[in-house]
Amino acid sequence: MKKVITGDHSVAYGAKLARAEVVAAYPITPQTLIVEHIAEFVSDGEMDAKFMPMESEHSVMSATIAAQAAGARTFTATASQGLAFMHEMLYVAAPLRLPIVMVNVNRTIAYPVGIWCEYNDSMAERDSGWLQVYIENNQEALDMVIQGYMIAEDRRVLLPVMPCMDGFVLSHTVEPVELPAQEDVDVFLPGYEPVYSLDPDNPAVAGSFMPPEYIMEMRRQTMDAVEASKKVIPEVGKKFASRFGRDYGGLVEEIGTEGADVVLMTMGTVTSTAREVIAEFRGRVGLVKLRFYRPFPSDEIRDLGSRFRAIGVFDRSLSYTGGGPVFEEVKAALYGYSDIPVINHLAGLGGRDVTAQEIRKMCELTLRAADGERVSRVNWHATRGVPV
Amino acid sequence: MYEVRFHGRGGQGAVMAAQALAEAAVIEDKYAIAFPFFGAERRGAPVLAFTRIHDQKIYSRTQVYTPDCVVVLDDTLLDTVDITHGIKENGIAVINSTKKPEEIELGRKIRTAAVEATSIALELLKAPITNTAILGAFSRATGIVGIDSVEKAIMSRFGEKLGEVAGRKNAGAARMAYDRTETGMSSGGKEHAIRKQWLPEYRELPVGGVLGARTTDAGLIGPGSFIENKTGEWATFRPVRDRNRCTMCLACWFDCPEGCIIRIDNGKDLRTDYGYCKGCGICANECPVDAITMMRL
Ligand code: SF4
Ligand code: SF4
Repeated sequence: MKKVITGDHSVAYGAKLARAEVVAAYPITPQTLIVEHIAEFVSDGEMDAKFMPMESEHSVMSATIAAQAAGARTFTATASQGLAFMHEMLYVAAPLRLPIVMVNVNRTIAYPVGIWCEYNDSMAERDSGWLQVYIENNQEALDMVIQGYMIAEDRRVLLPVMPCMDGFVLSHTVEPVELPAQEDVDVFLPGYEPVYSLDPDNPAVAGSFMPPEYIMEMRRQTMDAVEASKKVIPEVGKKFASRFGRDYGGLVEEIGTEGADVVLMTMGTVTSTAREVIAEFRGRVGLVKLRFYRPFPSDEIRDLGSRFRAIGVFDRSLSYTGGGPVFEEVKAALYGYSDIPVINHLAGLGGRDVTAQEIRKMCELTLRAADGERVSRVNWHATRGVPV
Repeated sequence: MYEVRFHGRGGQGAVMAAQALAEAAVIEDKYAIAFPFFGAERRGAPVLAFTRIHDQKIYSRTQVYTPDCVVVLDDTLLDTVDITHGIKENGIAVINSTKKPEEIELGRKIRTAAVEATSIALELLKAPITNTAILGAFSRATGIVGIDSVEKAIMSRFGEKLGEVAGRKNAGAARMAYDRTETGMSSGGKEHAIRKQWLPEYRELPVGGVLGARTTDAGLIGPGSFIENKTGEWATFRPVRDRNRCTMCLACWFDCPEGCIIRIDNGKDLRTDYGYCKGCGICANECPVDAITMMRL
């Protein structure tokens, strides 16, 4: 069934179709509509879930962890300050190996206070052990909630998954979304079978104090799970594609890269605009959509390093290293493998619209770097007083 | 470099002793560092603290593995811990004990100084806090720091915290211990049931570190493992209740921090589980009719 709905509404449908059993949530712009739609589904009897309005995001994540550890499939959503307020609990969920799915609707984190899209909320949680996938459109939002559970609950992974979606550009934008049939989703995503679940009759210690003798090993266990997800993510993507006909690729998606000189790497909705812009470069510029930021696709990036003469990297967040976090990690992945120029393109911070003109400029600068011209490694696009 | 390892139990002040020793060395124009190693932070759990003393600035930040001296604040530890572990060939043990050095059985025969620090502390401080007295014994047995510096360091650290009178009493405890310390050789050959630790490889850790009750080669672990792990075995005092005075008001039952006072006979009587009683004396303090007395063990 096709519906014209917002990204938030689409996510709410994803949670419903995935048969999330417990939804604890606290509203925050621009995630609010997700919570409202789920509350409606539950009160209308369309969704068989326990809906828990909480007093804070910290409590949201605590309740979600507890419910998941008790054996329920959980869903929640947040944004910005809300995600930051969960910070300490995020670090509990992943090493406890709880396959929670939580959508983060990207919103700049104060100060300056803003409600629009920037990735400095979710990227600040890159070391928490959560897998992060950045979403391009409302259909992918719904699909990645469902795939999120498949990835998270895979016995080789067992990690929480955070689909990240551009605030307003998706959350409050309507576009057509194909709602899969419940029967099809049920086949693709059977009921949740926990590896462990808390049971008063069979006591276990979860989330406990551990002396230094155990923590290196615990971290290594979580690291292995993140590594294993690199295999599971494309598998789930293929399985999903064969059932529903929509294939998003694995950790990255390549668009028009064949025969290109350089590639531009984008995330989220900027990818969509860039799909149109690269056409103007008649094959010289290919597009790489960075879908997963965790696990970080180091192998795929090394492969790009061997095939192209330069990589342009779009960042919608700043690391105060001078450039953005994706730029830093792309360089780290290429270290020792490739010495092609990597050019950082900072744009869209605080939700500033990323225009076709800016994307065109990103392509041009990347091409010029490939041609041996001295190009600034970090470029602040459309920033008053900063020449590009 | 001179390295000292303190063995105590949570609440006995091993860390303060290590710090005061460092300060005494600094008073003598040496360089010193002192640091704790905490396991589970609770009263009664074995605690380690370390002091390093040197003529020059100290850079090493690791724990001490081959001490020149081990200081033992609580001789109930001798049964469970081989305190001679790693000690240098010519090292020395300074032990709070009612025994003579020759009567103290250790894993190895080593130079040993013994002092009745608990009695001194009870006499001067009215509490079994032995961390200051034992420093007097250390000074006497090793000569690494003089007793005057030890007294000064105690005045500075303890005086600041507890007031001048208490500081002076603690310094007095060190002086008294200094005078009463006896040095000799311990006997060796004591066998320690080596308490194995469960140290799985990372792949053997349960998913998420979530642990149900299980038996390992190190004994019970997970929920219920305290059935084996008797936390009360170090107590210096034991509460004894006079049934005739007791009104069964249950104040002691409610206030015991260890939960080791148990209601029995359908709530008509109480029993204290000494396996977990730390001898902290809270029950005796709280009893409104003074039905509980603390007996020295
Ligand atoms: S002394 Fe009393 S209060 Fe303290 S642990 Fe023992 S029974 Fe409990
Ligand atoms: S506090 Fe004293 S009177 Fe009350 S129950 Fe305990 S022993 Fe008895």
